[in-house]
Amino acid sequence: MSHDAHASQVAHADDHAHDTHHVNYLAIFAVLCVCTALSVILDVIHMSKPVTIVLVMAVAITKALCVMMFFMHLKFEGNWKFVLLAPTTILAIGLPLALFPDIGASYYTPTAPQVTRWAEEISDYQKYHAEHMEHAEGAAIIEPGHVEPAHAE
Amino acid sequence: MSHTAQPTALKMGIPIPNSKLGLWLFLGTEIMFFTAFIGSYIVLRLGSKGWPTDTNDTHINVFLGGLNTFVLIVSSYLVVVAHEAMAQKNFSRARTYLTGTLLLAFLFLGIKSIEYYGKISHDILPGHIAETSSQAVKKASRELEVVVRDRFAEYTSSGAVPTERPNDIVNLVNQIAALPTTATPPEGVSEGTFNALKESAPVDAELFRQWMNLHQHIVANVSLEVPAVGPEYLAARAELKEGEKLPELEYAEVTSLLTKMKADEKYGHYVTKGVFEPHPIVYGNIFASTYFLMTGFHAVHVVVGMILFWMVLRQGSKLNEKWTDFVENSGLYWHFVDLVWIFLFPMLYII
Repeated sequence: MSHDAHASQVAHADDHAHDTHHVNYLAIFAVLCVCTALSVILDVIHMSKPVTIVLVMAVAITKALCVMMFFMHLKFEGNWKFVLLAPTTILAIGLPLALFPDIGASYYTPTAPQVTRWAEEISDYQKYHAEHMEHAEGAAIIEPGHVEPAHAE
Repeated sequence: MSHTAQPTALKMGIPIPNSKLGLWLFLGTEIMFFTAFIGSYIVLRLGSKGWPTDTNDTHINVFLGGLNTFVLIVSSYLVVVAHEAMAQKNFSRARTYLTGTLLLAFLFLGIKSIEYYGKISHDILPGHIAETSSQAVKKASRELEVVVRDRFAEYTSSGAVPTERPNDIVNLVNQIAALPTTATPPEGVSEGTFNALKESAPVDAELFRQWMNLHQHIVANVSLEVPAVGPEYLAARAELKEGEKLPELEYAEVTSLLTKMKADEKYGHYVTKGVFEPHPIVYGNIFASTYFLMTGFHAVHVVVGMILFWMVLRQGSKLNEKWTDFVENSGLYWHFVDLVWIFLFPMLYII
């Protein structure tokens, strides 16, 4: 009990030492708002897909860093943050990597129409959309990068 | 069990409260939890030939998503200033900020449910989506069958059409079609109910015939222009030359049939209610699975955060400095929830 109370006091003394790093939370908040607006603008204006992806993810990482460094005070924490967060981050990345070969590359059975008749299905799909979106903007329905020629049967 | 504190031993620990260390360890597991979902989403999306990105398919609204991002950012900011107010022992101000956070969390869930409703009302649910045009045709036929069965259940459950096998709609349709010629209601059926059902019987029998006709054409896979069963079908097949085939059922034929049925003044409203717009979305099911998995678990986290803030707020004016660490920790948790959304927003709504 007394030990805990003591530790807590030490911690609070530490907190007060950290208060010298005065953060202007309102400024961080403003940066986050601007970044959110930027994401929406990047979606609305049409650019090539890879450029949009890079820019939008860069904005997301900026926002994440702002939240972690200032709102979560990680900028002012001791080195324990690396001890705690580095292993979890490495383990977290491991799972998707392990999933990729078996699940990511072939999660539909090879005989599914989505796989065997891809070219026909996608042309059906686009035909349907062409009928229903005559009044809408002629936006590309499927990104050209995604379309692959159908495998010969 | 007295524990004598050694001044040197203190330096070996991490200079943060145990509760905060515990929370950070928990956030470590949370990082792995959400990276598993986000990572699987990236892997599945990269492993797919296509992905539904058209908002007419996905019913994703970038403005609602952006608004929700904004709502979470404001609430995150309010949590930070609430903790600051707690540290300055200004508890009433901290309570005001936390109340704002809680209300914004409700707003977030409200906007989220509008988005979910948009998907549910179009049957954009995992496992429900037709991915190819033939699947879309079969799905519409199945839904039409359910409409017919629901209509027929009115006759069997009320007892107006007595039957041992209420699910046998193929035989039931004859009894229902014969209903208008029946003079007296069976025992236990009121005159009013019976007369109403007598009136609707020809309409429901016609609805059945429409569905059965579509169903038979799907089974035979022939165009609605040609007969699909009976002597006419066999005759049409007999006339075919070597290598020739009857015209196949076209997706467009079925959609125009459904449009016509939905416009019918007698049974149209049943069809409109029970049959979704047939709308093939290639890779739609995996999209819906990942979307609902990620946003659903995120929403659960929002609810947990709301419980944490409510625990602080229910202290009312008794809120004191003992709660400062609690507010800091729940704030850290809330920032993490915000952090997850910061990545979910561009990945689900924009890319």
